[in-house]
Amino acid sequence: MTNILDDYALISPLRHINNWLKLAIVFFGLLAGVSSTSPITPLFIALCMSLATVALGRAPLKFYLKLLLAPAGFAFTGVIIIAFFSGSGQELMSFELAGYPLVIRADGLELALLVLSRSLGGMCCLYFLALTTPMIELFAVLKASRLPESLIELSMLIYRYIFVFLDMALSIKYAQTVRLGYSNFKRSINSLGMLASTLFIRSWEQGDKLFLSMNSRCYDGKMTLFEVHRPVKSTELLLTSVYFLLTLALFYFTKNISIV
Amino acid sequence: MHIMEGFLPTPWWQVWFAVSIPVILYGIYKMNKLVNEKREILPLLAVAGAFVFVLSSLKLPSMVTGSCSHPTGTGVAAIIFGPAISAVLGTIVLLYQALFLAHGGLTTLGANVFSMGIVGPVVAYLVYKAGMKANINFFVVVFLATALGDWATYVTTSVELALAFPAGDVLTFAGFMSSLGKFAGIFALTQVPLAIVEGAVSALLFKYVVNVKSDILVEMKVIEDKVVKKLRGTSA
Repeated sequence: MTNILDDYALISPLRHINNWLKLAIVFFGLLAGVSSTSPITPLFIALCMSLATVALGRAPLKFYLKLLLAPAGFAFTGVIIIAFFSGSGQELMSFELAGYPLVIRADGLELALLVLSRSLGGMCCLYFLALTTPMIELFAVLKASRLPESLIELSMLIYRYIFVFLDMALSIKYAQTVRLGYSNFKRSINSLGMLASTLFIRSWEQGDKLFLSMNSRCYDGKMTLFEVHRPVKSTELLLTSVYFLLTLALFYFTKNISIV
Repeated sequence: MHIMEGFLPTPWWQVWFAVSIPVILYGIYKMNKLVNEKREILPLLAVAGAFVFVLSSLKLPSMVTGSCSHPTGTGVAAIIFGPAISAVLGTIVLLYQALFLAHGGLTTLGANVFSMGIVGPVVAYLVYKAGMKANINFFVVVFLATALGDWATYVTTSVELALAFPAGDVLTFAGFMSSLGKFAGIFALTQVPLAIVEGAVSALLFKYVVNVKSDILVEMKVIEDKVVKKLRGTSA
């Protein structure tokens, strides 16, 4: 709960690279990964993005590996269901569990591996964005993208207050824990309810104060941002195009390959 | 329950974006109208969004140890602000969860917004309105609304997964149903108790707020003054 990926993005050396270039890399990876028909392309994307995040973006390797395991619970349940219950081809293996027959078929396993690799590729792209681009940089991009003004305004304010409330929630939780507030199940529910309500009331008061302070500083529904102009360097462009071409080539040549 | 990045194949992630975007636009329209009427509402919405995010990043105590469990928090937002604005708040919160906490993803954002930002809050709001009309105890209604909202979210997620991965490869009704049963059945292990815990925590939240600062709820037209008086009379 204390590890917000944004903290790492703020100290990453890749922070100073042009935002549009990074977004292009990420969305290219996401789209190529999700539309690939063999597990090889997403795995290649995952490898490249992880290298970029850890080697160029200086994300701690141990922390990065732990992050990759975070959504594993959801991934494995989903993938196991797909492996066991989809497909109609040749049987690879079958066994009985408590009188209930379970069969893995070749095309089911193939699909499960494809989905797993796509998820891995997508997660790596997402982590690349999250660990190298702080949200404040993305606001400038959002402003340029002509989304509704109020939506951007709202997301900026929410971003600001997330940190205020996380701090508050953490200190309340520590205080409750040292007073044995989480020592058994019933107490934990009660403590959590108290925490949530205190947070709610405090955030409400904070909202009133925020309105007052913003009004007294002539808030008219628009916050202007300072956007740093960052030209794309030729080496970055070269590296990106090589990566794009390699991925596309791999995408084309492996589209009919099956590994099972 | 977030669907992770890359899990939904090509036609389906676009479909869920197409379903979610009109609802979000309607929510933005509603929000703009509200903000133009009452300017002080925007900071309030902002802190409410941050509150939902922080609430959803807290770990719930769970009876099954080892399972990762987070409340969705959107049920509370739906009760206070109504479903249209909750959809907008939910979208922003889900985007931040994908970027900061690695819950969910960008291509699956549409599907996650549909299940957690639209269906869950709508169900919670309907249950809440119906319960208040039927004159049931306020805390019981809050409990039911959040728990049922959570279950609706989890059933929707299962439907999304079953549509994308039906049994027998081709999308048929029988294949969809069989696959839906499996996804729903396995996720039920963690989601059913989780929703009950979240309902209990939300009911406690409102109990403390009614006791300490009930004027907020009256001002937002969540409950009426006489209901507060009655609740305080019984719980004091």
